[in-house]
Amino acid sequence: MSVTTAWLALVALMIGPGMAVPAAPQPAGTLVVGLVAEPVNLDPAQVTDLNSNRVGRRIVETLATFPDESTQIVPGLAESWTVSKDGLRYTFKLRKGISFHDGTPLNAEAVKFSIERQINAEHPFNKLGKYPFANYFFGNVKAVEVVDPSTVEFVLKEPRASFLAILTAGAASIVSPTAVKKLGVDYALQPVGTGPFRYVAWDRGQRVVLERNAQYWKSPVKVERVIYRPIVEDQARLTELLTGALDLIVGTPPDFVAQLENNPKVTLLKQVGAHVWYLGINNQKKPFDDKRVRQALNYAVNKEAIVRDVLKGTGSMSAGPVLPGTWGADAGLKPYPYDPERARKLLADAGYPGGFTTSMWVPESGSGMQSPVAMATVMQSNLKAVGVNVTLQTFEWGAFIAKLRSKEQELFALSWMAGNEDPDMVMYPLLHSSQWTPGGPNRALYKSDTFDELLHQARLTTDQAKRAELYRQAQRILADDPPWIFVDHEIQTAVHSKRVQGFKLHPSFDLRVETISLK
Amino acid sequence: MRRYLARRLLLLVPVLAGVSVVIFMVLHLSPGDPVEIMLGSQATQEDRARLRAELGLDQPLHVQYGRWLGHVARGDLGRSLWMKRPVLDEVLGRFKATLVLTGTALLLSSLAGVALGVASATRPNSVLDRLSAVASLFGASMPTFWLGIVLMVIFALWLGWLPASGMYAAYGGGDLRDLLAHLVLPAVTLAAASVTIIARLTRATMLETLGQDYIRTARAKGVVERAVVLRHGLKNALIPIVTVVGVQAGYLLGGAVLTETVFAWPGVGTLMVQGILARDFPLVQGCVLVVALSFVLVNLAVDLLYAWLDPRIRYE
Repeated sequence: MSVTTAWLALVALMIGPGMAVPAAPQPAGTLVVGLVAEPVNLDPAQVTDLNSNRVGRRIVETLATFPDESTQIVPGLAESWTVSKDGLRYTFKLRKGISFHDGTPLNAEAVKFSIERQINAEHPFNKLGKYPFANYFFGNVKAVEVVDPSTVEFVLKEPRASFLAILTAGAASIVSPTAVKKLGVDYALQPVGTGPFRYVAWDRGQRVVLERNAQYWKSPVKVERVIYRPIVEDQARLTELLTGALDLIVGTPPDFVAQLENNPKVTLLKQVGAHVWYLGINNQKKPFDDKRVRQALNYAVNKEAIVRDVLKGTGSMSAGPVLPGTWGADAGLKPYPYDPERARKLLADAGYPGGFTTSMWVPESGSGMQSPVAMATVMQSNLKAVGVNVTLQTFEWGAFIAKLRSKEQELFALSWMAGNEDPDMVMYPLLHSSQWTPGGPNRALYKSDTFDELLHQARLTTDQAKRAELYRQAQRILADDPPWIFVDHEIQTAVHSKRVQGFKLHPSFDLRVETISLK
Repeated sequence: MRRYLARRLLLLVPVLAGVSVVIFMVLHLSPGDPVEIMLGSQATQEDRARLRAELGLDQPLHVQYGRWLGHVARGDLGRSLWMKRPVLDEVLGRFKATLVLTGTALLLSSLAGVALGVASATRPNSVLDRLSAVASLFGASMPTFWLGIVLMVIFALWLGWLPASGMYAAYGGGDLRDLLAHLVLPAVTLAAASVTIIARLTRATMLETLGQDYIRTARAKGVVERAVVLRHGLKNALIPIVTVVGVQAGYLLGGAVLTETVFAWPGVGTLMVQGILARDFPLVQGCVLVVALSFVLVNLAVDLLYAWLDPRIRYE
């Protein structure tokens, strides 16, 4: 056999079977979802990334939760709760008759176990995992007390009006203590909860398989199996969707949005999420310690152009950290208009008629960062137009986050996903002066005594209407004394095939595939 | 021969130790902190300090390295900081997929490269030779991810002949046909650059060999042209070709990272990238160790092949 024939034979061997295997349709009842990256593990108390949460939260649930279309708090595994007058005791009545996927009952002990494994260093199962949110969410929890099998009480160290919002977070998921004890450190790879789907299998790098929980308490789950596939490359994810190998994908690159909107084979969904993208400013460094300079930067940046031309409609202009339309947002607040003339005047008033030179640190990518480099490049040219010469430096995410601890930043791009709409969960960590980096995430080193006091008061106030008023005042302070350049709130996208029915994107960025039925 | 082999295998130890020291230093000295990445931006200073101590990252580098080496000596590559799984299981599981991909790509590029090279050398300056030169230039200058995406768009999206990504169909599948169908695009993509290198080298060596006196003698004796080219020519030209194929094997193992990412191939390359981004030291060390080991073994195999191809070569 000549080399050529051998070569042809090999090609035939390789291509032949491929042509013989057309993209077979999925078995009825199986939903295949394309994720942008592989989950790290499936225990929502041990992960910080969106992909892990989107899968893990199908398996475990929380005491308080959100309805399918908003981030207003409604009962979850707890059917009701009461808050003591002093705001220190939260008592939950659990729903009766709910079992974990391993058949053990959901009870007050399980709730106590789920939280204490994270916060109590002496807890026998504390060492099994790293709990990134333990302090941030539950540092204020003094004790979790079992009143009776279906009543559990959280005792706080000091009042925290956002505590119910905290209990909607993945970290507050209730796990099966029996399963944790049995599986040990491997629990994070195959969690056991009460959710609409149970864990079946995980082929590393390929797929995670979940199966319907036939006993699900809330509503019947219509999909038999969900398979999650990690596909990093955008074009590959999109091709798989368009050829029918995937039913649903999230994280559509902005450049594909228009093309997909007009594609009759698929449906594109959009939903603004509890997210904010900002260009942080080091408020302690000259010349940024002058609020006129920070105002000028806000006037100088053309947010409309960024949202329209870079994000192609996958962002909505931001006027502050709080998502417009939610209960804590100040409806009267408008985004800073694009006004380079005014920016130049403010800079001149602040003593910089000729502008100045500064640096901008930008991560190449990152969860919630949208298109960081392209967005930063637009801002760089906007700022140059008013005399501010910016050197753009890009970093890989891990290096970027480490660098921000140096406090040497001048301008820097970041985003925040609170996961819920409580204004405390975005303003307090990012802007309260007790949260300055490296101790907390206030990397703009913003400090305003009035603002700090308003946020503190709001934490002590349980009445939502009163809290809302305090937060509105706080937002007005930020609008006048901007700690960042406010840029946008992400409009998340998902694309699904026509066989997918009843799917909605959730403002918390959760991916609730349990609402889907397949045609 | 046996002594030579033993010596070469023993040499593996210092080579791998050297590789591990270098990768350890590079990882630890590069900016970014696994604890910071793992805990996210909400973590407090105490959280970070506690986790750092728990993972032993607060120890001096030589202590950390010594501890890691001690475990490796006992066959324990540790647990991934980030995924919590045993590194050895994780890496070996993924390495199989990488071997399937690079093995196929190597086979493909060797066969196609040698065939093209021989064909060009026997008809220098013919249309085929020129075409092959142009194709080589094209192949060598195309970035892998670009070629991968172009092939994907043509054969998966437009023609619908082949699946776009992954190693098996998500829902079941799993047989050989399914694997082969998924293998075509990534293997061709990965092989493209190597084909051109092997083809150019084969052409050059073959041209030189075919100019030798013994070729003229063979022809004068009336040996059939095909036998002249293949038996007398190619066999004698093989030594440099085998060398470059060996080098390409290493290149393919490394180059698989991009191809694996484009095609969501569940190999060690994608795992390594995830590990590096998360500063998952034990995981990256494990990946590098396995890849380095296979590279060294391929080199050894190439050296042994010399003796087989040319009986004059002896190892003592």
